[in-house]
Amino acid sequence: MAGAAPDSSRRFDLHLAATREGFAAGFDELRRGLDTLQLDPRARFSVELVFEEVVANLVRHGARSDGRTTLSLQVVLRDDSVQLTFLDDGVEFDPRERPDPAPAQDLEHAETGGRGLLLIRSVCTGLEYVRTPEGRNRLTVSVSREMRQPGRK
Amino acid sequence: MKMDITEDEGVVKVGLVGRLDTPGVDAIETRLTGAVCPRGARTVVDLSGVEFIGSLGLRMFITIARTLSRRNGKMILYAPQPFVAQVLETASLGDIIPVRPDAASAVAAAKA
Repeated sequence: MAGAAPDSSRRFDLHLAATREGFAAGFDELRRGLDTLQLDPRARFSVELVFEEVVANLVRHGARSDGRTTLSLQVVLRDDSVQLTFLDDGVEFDPRERPDPAPAQDLEHAETGGRGLLLIRSVCTGLEYVRTPEGRNRLTVSVSREMRQPGRK
Repeated sequence: MKMDITEDEGVVKVGLVGRLDTPGVDAIETRLTGAVCPRGARTVVDLSGVEFIGSLGLRMFITIARTLSRRNGKMILYAPQPFVAQVLETASLGDIIPVRPDAASAVAAAKA
């Protein structure tokens, strides 16, 4: 990470088990942490949306079958953005390679899922992925602190 | 996540209050599906009390709306808060499930 280390009032970390129970507890912890950062409401919504989609995907698709998959998240408040760095030991998954779902022609033929990455891309200004040498997924997502998001819509 | 289900003149009204994140969807999906899908109800869903929605919430609405459509029912969403409306727009949900600004227009669409 470039630059000086952020002070504790501008960052927090949390850890959770990649289970539905861990997800719910982690979301509560995230919201308490976000309370301390006093974000613009839209930026806060975007951060929560990214968390929802990344963690839901891990719990539903990326957790290992032994039930011991864990995730850590570091949230850092920067001058113009909020940076979220997710680190998990689940199944390898590079979200940058996944296409968005095709536009639905009608309700009968609409895909039910696959919109999580679409939503992340719509609110983020940066999306970086690395499979670490230790065999972990590290996903870094940046969300603008400005009122207007530079997403697609 | 709180859910209130009432019926008036053949239209089922569903009021939701809270967050349609994964825990929120887990809390209501089975009950909501059971309340409207078996009878193919004409259903309107008040989103004015929903402060958050993610892709799992979108998936729930698509799944229920499709089931209703197959049984000659329908689902209309109405009055989303601005950030929730933005998510619906990003996902182009309005192309497949009607989204109306208020209860009156939603009920009229459900009865049409």
